[in-house]
Amino acid sequence: MRREIFALGVVVLSFVVFPASLFAYQAWRTNALDARVIELTANVPANGGWQPDTIRVHLGERVRLRISSTDVVHGFAVPALGIQVDEILPGHVEEVEFVASRAGRFPFACTRWCSVDHWRMRGVIEVIDPQNPNPASPTFAPPLYQQLNVNIDAAHPARNVPSEHPSAVRGAVLAEQITVDADTRTQSPSDVFAKLRADAALKSYGDLQLWDAIAFEWKRAAGDDAIARGRQLYARDCAACHGESGKGDGPAGRNLPGRTVIDASARRGPADFTNAAQMLGASDVLLQGKILRGGMGTGMPEWRSLYTDQDMWDVISFIRGFVFEYGMSDKK
Amino acid sequence: MTMSRFELTRIPIIKKILASRWLQWSLIAITLPVFLLSILAGLFGTPAGSRNFGIVFVWIVWWALLILLMLPFAGRLWCAMCPIPAPGEWLQRRALVQPRERGRLDTLGLKWPRRLNNIWLQNATFLAVALFSVVILTTPMVSALVLALFAIIALSISLLFERRTFCRYLCPVGGFIGLYSQLAPIEVRVKNHAVCVTHKEKTCYVGSDAGYGCPWLVFPAALDKNTYCGLCTECLKTCPLDNVALFARPFGADLLANKGRRLDEAYKAFIMLTCALAYSIVLIGPWSILREMAYAVGSMGWWLYAAGFLAVNLAVVPGIFLACVLVGKKMGRVIASTRKLFVDYAYALVPLGLAAWAAFSFSFVLTNLSYAWQALSDPFGWGWNLFGTANWSWTPYLAGWQGMLQVPMLLVGLVGAIAVAFRTAREQRASPRVALPIVAFCIAFTLALVGLYL
Repeated sequence: MRREIFALGVVVLSFVVFPASLFAYQAWRTNALDARVIELTANVPANGGWQPDTIRVHLGERVRLRISSTDVVHGFAVPALGIQVDEILPGHVEEVEFVASRAGRFPFACTRWCSVDHWRMRGVIEVIDPQNPNPASPTFAPPLYQQLNVNIDAAHPARNVPSEHPSAVRGAVLAEQITVDADTRTQSPSDVFAKLRADAALKSYGDLQLWDAIAFEWKRAAGDDAIARGRQLYARDCAACHGESGKGDGPAGRNLPGRTVIDASARRGPADFTNAAQMLGASDVLLQGKILRGGMGTGMPEWRSLYTDQDMWDVISFIRGFVFEYGMSDKK
Repeated sequence: MTMSRFELTRIPIIKKILASRWLQWSLIAITLPVFLLSILAGLFGTPAGSRNFGIVFVWIVWWALLILLMLPFAGRLWCAMCPIPAPGEWLQRRALVQPRERGRLDTLGLKWPRRLNNIWLQNATFLAVALFSVVILTTPMVSALVLALFAIIALSISLLFERRTFCRYLCPVGGFIGLYSQLAPIEVRVKNHAVCVTHKEKTCYVGSDAGYGCPWLVFPAALDKNTYCGLCTECLKTCPLDNVALFARPFGADLLANKGRRLDEAYKAFIMLTCALAYSIVLIGPWSILREMAYAVGSMGWWLYAAGFLAVNLAVVPGIFLACVLVGKKMGRVIASTRKLFVDYAYALVPLGLAAWAAFSFSFVLTNLSYAWQALSDPFGWGWNLFGTANWSWTPYLAGWQGMLQVPMLLVGLVGAIAVAFRTAREQRASPRVALPIVAFCIAFTLALVGLYL
């Protein structure tokens, strides 16, 4: 009988005490960490995307995210909280810690081209203030394109197209001679050209010279740092569909319908940023509207939840460089 | 034919260990916590398979031990220590170690239907698991649920039916372990059949105060192959005449005697051989589309994969084999029925099948075994570091040597298959030419695998 009791005791240890001790150890360990540990798993969107895709934490809480991938290499970013993990390798666990210092909803996303549906791989961190668990929805000013009543779905062909790509480098030489007094956010380059061309004082200058001056003005207004930052964002978030050279030939964009969902005669696939006839007819505001709202079925994702206004202006400044030759090195 | 064998139980320490009632309990006392941890880690741990104890220790470590060590060298040793049927068996016995009076069991005592006294159900359960294996093997939650399901079914069956009915007729793993245990160089057998004839009580089958009747529903005196012997050693304990022993014997000894060959076992041989090839193609072949189809359970692609998988297992490979048998029959002018030839020669696939599984296992076990160090220290992937090995980096073992291990392994299996094929022809007093198409089949299969691995 004693033998049976001993054997039974060992089995009870296996079934009850052993599992209980595992969870007790984890509970003790988590308490000792002084941070709430949250496991976050990355899967390609076809297999579920982020799990969980909504993370709720309390204001002031210290949070440790343990991020792992079950399939391919992913990245992780919460732009509004300044969190960025460049690489989450399958089978590895990346840890990132932050303090939820302000209440609100902070979208996060994968930052590596993990699959065709990569852009769907998004989630949100909700920081809840226990004192005010149901805050009134924050009010945002409508985006600029709505304030200015710009129809971002309408075709926007340029009224004038230069014979070759305008050069900001040549334009710099003309900067003291040609004053481009334009709002580069709200006016399209084509409109600015029309205004300059109509100026009798600039009659002696050729069309291409005016275009060069416009290219320089766009570059000057943006600033080199913004263009360089836009290049990084473009490489990370846009190039897979729009292509490294901006021609709309990226591998992830091959099967996207593009503007054909609006206009059946339009070209399939992502926008071609080297197409001067289209790009010069679009104002920065119009381009920003397309970026922040997304393409409504065209395949273009929305970026409002992830990008700040400055992010979008920086990307647009860089994109302009596919038509305006900025003369900047790639490394800049 | 008499076969040379050595009685291991003549060695006192072995005899003492095997006669001990603590033996099986001790083995299960080790595997049970590991099994429980595998389920808990799968349910509550990280979904990243390579960081989860449930995936790493079941499908890499256990699998490697089973296919590369236990099966070839100890047959059904795993069945003796498997934790899955243990709770049910303990409940039947109302005891964990000591025997009850006359080895009595408490169950509803239902008899397993005679029509199902075969391994067709095991063939079906194995194929059912195999269809989902890409998901089961990589997704901790699914893997844990499947293991838990096995445990629940085993417990339920134990309460309803006598002895180890689950292990004998249902367990998807037990079917192929039994098939390949015929190759093992050990066996539990009676020493002298004449002694059994005079022993009227048959305590080895009905039980006694010393132990339980064979849990595997086998009469030890009639045991002529390892297929259904679970190595629990109850018969060594219950035989009052000390007429049961553990023997060492040549590898594959059970296949040399053309006895008790059955269609259900033959089909198990086909299924195992085909699955080894199918997994090699799907999981390590260059056709990623097949992998995606196998993973996307429920999609149109998966249904196509499932249909193809079942067709190849149940019809295409057996069909090709049948064609080889018919050609051989014609070449050798044999009068035996085609069915008999089909079944008898299928046993030639047993050594080749195990070799194919061993070769396939080398491909992923050596590559992924180093994950075991991480999973040991951090079984749930929660950031633990119990033994200081949680951050040991992934390192493929014997990288570059895999092919050199796989090809000789396959060749050993091929030689075994050819030997069994010719042996079968000789036993049938037929011309060796009968076996030639079977040999060609085995060579073609081996070449296909070698082509995949090299």
